[in-house]
Amino acid sequence: ALDSDAQTTDSDEIVVGTHLGSPPKASAEGIRIEIVSLRLHPAAEVLASEHVQQLYVEFHFPGVPLAETETPLSLRKPQSGEEIYFHFSKVILLDPEAVSTQRKRLFSMLQAEVAGQNWLQFVVGREPLPGTRGECEDVGFAYLDLREILLSGSDVLEQELEAVVSPQDHSAIGRLTVSVEAAAALRDIYWEGR
Amino acid sequence: TKEFGYILKESGAVFTFGKSKFAENIPTKFWFKNDKPLYISCGDEHTAIVTGNGKLYMFGSNNWGQLGLGTKNTINKPTCVKALKPEKVKLAACGRNHTLVYTEQGHVYAAGGNSEGQLGLGDTEERSTFRLISFFTNQYKIKQLAAGSYTSAALTEDGQLFVWGDNSEGQIGLAGEASVCVPCQVDVGKPVSWISCGYYHSALVTRDGELYTFGEPENGKLGLLPEQLKNNRVPQPVPGILERVNKVACGGGHTVALTETDVYTFGLGQYGQLGHGTFIFETSVPKAVEYLKKHKICNIACGENHTAVIADNGLMFTFGDGRHGKLGLGEENFTNQFIPTLCSNFLRFTVYLVACGGCHMLVFATPRPNGSEEILKN
Ligand SMILES: [Mg+2]
Ligand SMILES: [Mg+2]
Repeated sequence: ALDSDAQTTDSDEIVVGTHLGSPPKASAEGIRIEIVSLRLHPAAEVLASEHVQQLYVEFHFPGVPLAETETPLSLRKPQSGEEIYFHFSKVILLDPEAVSTQRKRLFSMLQAEVAGQNWLQFVVGREPLPGTRGECEDVGFAYLDLREILLSGSDVLEQELEAVVSPQDHSAIGRLTVSVEAAAALRDIYWEGR
Repeated sequence: TKEFGYILKESGAVFTFGKSKFAENIPTKFWFKNDKPLYISCGDEHTAIVTGNGKLYMFGSNNWGQLGLGTKNTINKPTCVKALKPEKVKLAACGRNHTLVYTEQGHVYAAGGNSEGQLGLGDTEERSTFRLISFFTNQYKIKQLAAGSYTSAALTEDGQLFVWGDNSEGQIGLAGEASVCVPCQVDVGKPVSWISCGYYHSALVTRDGELYTFGEPENGKLGLLPEQLKNNRVPQPVPGILERVNKVACGGGHTVALTETDVYTFGLGQYGQLGHGTFIFETSVPKAVEYLKKHKICNIACGENHTAVIADNGLMFTFGDGRHGKLGLGEENFTNQFIPTLCSNFLRFTVYLVACGGCHMLVFATPRPNGSEEILKN
C-alpha cells in the first residue's frame, strides 16, 4: 500500500518505483542543445592573449533567458591542440501555444530567405579571473543553420562549427562542437506556421 | 526532486542514473520485496547486485553473455541468476564485458567476453553462463574481486593477489606476459588489502597502506614519477601520498585513492573527474581534492569518466562527465562537474552503496529518520 504507484516485475521479487521525473527528450515539444567542447586554432589571437584565461559558451534561443543557455562554468582556456569539454546539455520545452512569440520567432527564422537569419548563434565568452579587473566579453561566434535541420529532417549530433572572431570579422579562432536535436520540433513549428 | 523520496519504505531503494539500460534510461528506483542490496558493481554497460539473501541480480548489455543468464539479449530489469541459486553469492565484479562472482561455498565463477582470457578458464571462448574457475576452489577465501576492460583480479583474505586476462599494457602487472587465461599471482612482497582494475590500468593497496599502480602509463593515471614509467608493467609504489591509503578506484583515465583524511586523484580530468576545478585537466601528481577535505569520506567509486564518493554521514558527492545524467544531479539539464557536487536528491537519504559504470551510476540509499536532515545543513 505504501507504493501504490509501483509495478511488480515478472520476477516478483523486485518492485519498480515511479520514475524520478521523466527527463524530457527532444521531441515535437522540446529541443535539446548541447555545448560539447571547444578547441582554439594555434594561430588564434585569444590563444596567446594573457587577457583571456577562462572561457564559457552561450547560445541565443528565442524566448529563453541567456542565463539559462550559458555553460554554468567557465573552463581554463584550451592550450594549442587541446579540447575542453563542457557537456552542457539543455532541454528547451517549447511554449505549447501555437501563437506564442517563441514559436513565431522560430517560424520566422525557419522561413527567412536572407542568409544569417536562420542561424542559431553561439557565443564564446571570456570570463575574467576572480579578483581581476574587467568584464565578460565575447571572443568568438559560431552559427548553426536551423533551416538546414528543418530541410534535412536530421538532428545535428556532435557537429564541429567554425568559431570566428566576430559577426563582421570571419577569421577563424577555433572549433566549437555542438549537438542540436530539433528536427521534430522545427517540423512541427514550420507546418503549424504555414 | 520533490518526487524523489516520495512514499519510499524505510528499507530504501536502489536508484539508477544515466544509461543503465533499466527503465529506458530514465532515472528510476527499485527495491527488493524481502531482500536488500549488499553490494553493487557496474561494468561498462551492465550491472550486478548482490543481496543480503545471497542472490545475484543482473541487467544491462549482454552482447558477450556477461549477465550469465544463458542468452545474449539485453536485459532491461534486474533479473535473478537462477543457476547460482543453490549457492549464496557474496561478491560480484563487472568488467567492461564480463562478470566475476564469488559464493559463500568458496567458488569463483566467470561469464561473458573472454577474448583475452579474462574469464580465467584456460581458454579465450566467451561464455553466457557462469563457469567455475576451479583454481580457487577449496584453496582460497576471497575478500575482493575486481574486473577491468579485459582483466580480472581476486584478492584473498590473507592478502594474496591473483590476476588474469589482458596484459598488453601491463595492466595486470605480470611484466612480460601479453595475456594469461588462468589466475596468476602478483607479488609485491607484502600482503595486499585492496585491488581496483580500471579500463587499461590497475591499482592495489598493501596492508601497510601503500598504493601501487601498473598498466597504461599515459596521462598521469599511474601517479608515478617519470623515471618509474618505463617499469609500468609491474606494480610500483606511488610517491606523494604521505598518509596511509585505505582504498583505491580506477576509472578510464583517472585514479582515486582514499586515505584516512583525504581523497587524492590523478590522471586525466578533462571532464572534471579529478575534482580539482576548472583549471586542472590532467595531473600525474596525486593531489588531495580540496573540496572534500572538510568531509570524512568513507567510500569511492569511479566510472569511465566520472567519480562518486560517500561521506560517513551518508551524503554523496559526484563529479566528472555529466552526460546522460549519470552524476545524479539533474533531470533535464546536464553538465560536467569539475568539483565534487553534493547530490541534493539524496539529502533526505543515507547513501550506503554507489557503483559507477561507463555511462551509468547505481546508488543504494535509505530515507533518513524524519528531522535528521537538519543536522546535515551545516
Ligand atoms: Mg554575453
Ligand atoms: Mg576529508
